Amino acid sequence: MIELQDDRLVITFPEVHPRARCTIDFQRTLRIPDDNREYPLPPGLGSFPLFHVDDYAERLPKPWQRHGGAFLPMHQAEALWLNFSGNYPMAIKIAAGKINAVTGDDWTNELSVDPQDYVVLPDQPWLDGFCIGEGQVRQFVAMPLGQGYTAEEQLTGAAEHGGLQIVAYPMLASAYEEFRSRHAAPRVMFSRAPDVDFCRAPGDDLSLEMDLGLAPGGLMRQKIYDDPHAFDVWDTSVRARCFMHLLNSSQFQAVTGHPPPTQPPSARTYSDAGLPWFELYGEDQKALQGASKLAGLDSVAARALKQGHGPIADNEAVERPRVQGIRRTASVRDGEF
Amino acid sequence: MRFGEHIREVRERRRAEDRTYSVRQVAQRIGIEPAYLSKIERDQQPPPSEDTIRRLAADLGEDPDVLLALAGKVSRDLQEIIRRRPRLFAELLRELKEMPDHAIVRVVRELRDGDW
Repeated sequence: MIELQDDRLVITFPEVHPRARCTIDFQRTLRIPDDNREYPLPPGLGSFPLFHVDDYAERLPKPWQRHGGAFLPMHQAEALWLNFSGNYPMAIKIAAGKINAVTGDDWTNELSVDPQDYVVLPDQPWLDGFCIGEGQVRQFVAMPLGQGYTAEEQLTGAAEHGGLQIVAYPMLASAYEEFRSRHAAPRVMFSRAPDVDFCRAPGDDLSLEMDLGLAPGGLMRQKIYDDPHAFDVWDTSVRARCFMHLLNSSQFQAVTGHPPPTQPPSARTYSDAGLPWFELYGEDQKALQGASKLAGLDSVAARALKQGHGPIADNEAVERPRVQGIRRTASVRDGEF
Repeated sequence: MRFGEHIREVRERRRAEDRTYSVRQVAQRIGIEPAYLSKIERDQQPPPSEDTIRRLAADLGEDPDVLLALAGKVSRDLQEIIRRRPRLFAELLRELKEMPDHAIVRVVRELRDGDW
């Protein structure tokens, strides 16, 4: 089951194991420069607020009511990343516009091992974008559907779904007991995501598009880890699914009555203030190779140029980002003492 | 089980796998004196404040509501929820008292998964 608690998705499988629980929150962040240079991880600027679709159904598009799930407000060209927490191993598939963010394939509910189309918790702490190469992602950037930017439109030619789709599968209880006896819980020593709320202020986005999708933005160093478990440890008899819609901030107040979140700073402004970017140290796990389908997509900046819109705003390069290392204590494994 | 005894057991279990779960290092991470944590673990001190219990729960990977209950406390947000509609929630809790866990779980509001 999935609940919304404190702007997080809380995913639990009480029927599998009392500890089968994880949370996902959606972190606001700055949009990294989209200039084909590789950047470290940008910060978390607090969680996006989340809302049940059913609570505002009459003011939302009909397809959203059919999808169910939740929504969050985003400005056009704003970025986000997914923050995972929990010690119980889970396999989680994530798609944008029903395009798998790890493989670039069309959505299916089931897990695939070859190619691996999911991330593994607790190993994977974050997901910032589409996996385009080994240790490389293109940032998730919100763009209006219908303008050709999103991964969905570039791969299928249609602007049909938008949003984010998530399905989680827990580890079998028997496999978990064995896993638990061998592993300490990985622990992040510093957090990218401060546990702070953000200021809310009226937005100035004049776009009339309500439904956003995710497009590939700038390049970032991030590994999507290979599944360290045997595939049969995943309990595929149960699953929890959620459609997370992305509501254009310009429509947010009309739908919810609340002012939308403010826009995050540009990457240049953030860096000029001497604030840190992040890099995860102590990564000894094998990373997925990335998907050629996703690597072949145009980034937002490239697409804008191709469509004759010229360079995108707030896209100045950041020359020397100040990088803060995030150390992660490695899991203790048999034979490594 | 008493609060301190439980904390010590969980911390020691973690320490067996990860040396950073010593009294000293856990205390440092959650911002209290090691001697204070040691006394808490031996139940020579009453359980600490809600904020400290929450930090301890996060560090040890425990459920904060469970630790707060062991400490004889109810979290501020729950108190606030009850305070706003005391009669309704008192009645609800009394009604739920005898229900089995699986039935209570159904009362929790799930995110609706539709057709997509």
